[in-house]
Amino acid sequence: MQNTAATKEIKTGVRPHTLAARIYKYRYFYLIMLPAIALLIIFKYIPMAGVSLAFTKYTAFAPPKFIGWDNFKELIGDASFLSALKNTLILSLVNLFLGMLFSIGFALLINEIHRKLVKSVFQTILYIPHFISWVVTASIFYLILSPSGGVINQLIVGLGGKSTYFMISEKWWTPIFYLINLWKGVGWGMIIYIAALSGISDELYEAASIDGAGRMKQMWYITLPGILNTILVVLILHLASVLNIFQSVFVLQNDLVLNVSEVIETYIYRVGLLQSDYGYSTAVGLFKSIISMLLILVTNNACKKIKGEGIL
Amino acid sequence: MQEKFSFASGYRSRTIFRVCNIVFFILLSLVMLVPILKVISDSFDAKAGYALTLLPTQFTTDAYKRVFTDRELLNPLLISIFTTAIGTALCLFLTTTSAYVLLQTDMPGHKILTWLFFITMIFSGGMVPGYLLIKGLHLMNTLWSCILPPAISVADIILMKSFFESLPQSLMEAAAIDGCTPFGIFIKIVLPLSKPALASIGLFIGVRYWNQFFNFVMYITNNDLFNFQVKLRDIVLNSTDLQNSNASDTVLMSRTVQNACVIVSMIPPLIAYPFCQKYFTTGVTLGAVKE
Repeated sequence: MQNTAATKEIKTGVRPHTLAARIYKYRYFYLIMLPAIALLIIFKYIPMAGVSLAFTKYTAFAPPKFIGWDNFKELIGDASFLSALKNTLILSLVNLFLGMLFSIGFALLINEIHRKLVKSVFQTILYIPHFISWVVTASIFYLILSPSGGVINQLIVGLGGKSTYFMISEKWWTPIFYLINLWKGVGWGMIIYIAALSGISDELYEAASIDGAGRMKQMWYITLPGILNTILVVLILHLASVLNIFQSVFVLQNDLVLNVSEVIETYIYRVGLLQSDYGYSTAVGLFKSIISMLLILVTNNACKKIKGEGIL
Repeated sequence: MQEKFSFASGYRSRTIFRVCNIVFFILLSLVMLVPILKVISDSFDAKAGYALTLLPTQFTTDAYKRVFTDRELLNPLLISIFTTAIGTALCLFLTTTSAYVLLQTDMPGHKILTWLFFITMIFSGGMVPGYLLIKGLHLMNTLWSCILPPAISVADIILMKSFFESLPQSLMEAAAIDGCTPFGIFIKIVLPLSKPALASIGLFIGVRYWNQFFNFVMYITNNDLFNFQVKLRDIVLNSTDLQNSNASDTVLMSRTVQNACVIVSMIPPLIAYPFCQKYFTTGVTLGAVKE
């Protein structure tokens, strides 16, 4: 800090001209960044280099052996993978659609509550499930839906029905998955729309009602156009991560409902970590990463067009 | 202010709408709260699950006593506290310094650094190479495997960066003119001004460490090193008796204890979040990019 040359330059507001002087000026930052850079390289970049395993045959019993594109050829014909891909797209997209529909709807309704305190109480209650981890959420619903003593089955039996084990039934698992996702996510999803709604000027509504526009007309011609950009941005942001659906599925699935609940990430976990087929599962992962990367780049451009700034 | 556009005509229909709206949100709130209230009630109920009320039929606090005394539950709880404390401190340090350094556009190497972080946002090696790395580094069955990899979080760095950008630049310019070095500005001016952001983002990070479980599922096979989330998953899913019998050595816990564990593991996040409400909106937008 005592270097006179460097401080003099800052004092006079002149940028130090030699590279060495500039490096010297920021010397502590380099030092302080060392751990971050080290962790970044070890835990992000070395695994990136590790995707080269996708071109090898590598299991727990045999060392990696180069086999070119064979893993990817196998991938295209792998029925379990294709089913996982299908489930990923269905679960993700339905989730996204339901989540947005209800978040927007509830945001519009809560916006009609004009008493600030009431509004914020409701909002806070709707947030709560978001703060609960997926493991806890899954535990809560496993307990509630349990066939032995869960509330729902108690009710069904009490009303003369037959006790059902919902979580292991292929028919029930998917709708329950969507419902749990809604329960957990809808309040959180509303936040961004509420913020957008509060940005719409009151004058627009006043002018509209003076011109005789009713509530529905106001909603259609002022409110919805006012949050359209936000809706589009949220939509494409989520589309970018459509293949990433994982935690929610992982904690809620079990071996009996794999047909409807296996998604790409859980498939990678099963093949790679449980069955130790490292080469093939890396290929599945690489396939997913590349599509995700393309999605992010495309959606980032779309965002830039709509919002004027990208997400990255 | 309560009635913004009150016109005599349609006043009645508006009142009906408002009443219905409030009723609707009361019902919705119940939907959100009832599952949680049921678990709370069951955690105090010796005959958990057999009543359709939201009040314990046979009040007891034994389940909570068990969580805090039984080694099998206390140990995971302590592991959770330990990893959360160390992880949060480390991650907050890395987030704060990285965010500030990424703003130093004049610093040689700034571009390379930015790209280094940026690339990790759009491409990742994936689960299996990550797993093989941890194995190769001999970090399997150590808590470092669950502390170090999540410590670099680009989304948090961006959140922090946007906070730093909102600080009054004139203060820093004035300090620079007075001869303060860039690092001095960071320590003496930026950090003291950032206390609220540090607290909020620190809480975000802390909650993430507390709630983390998949790293434990992948990297930890030793029962003694499970954190509370993994333990919870174990006892609830095992005793509701799914075919997942791979951890059958776990003693079956009573329903009351299971419910108490759910409550204990969700309390810290519920306490932490009200303090970072300010960052929700930004967090939502940023979070969308990540999982």
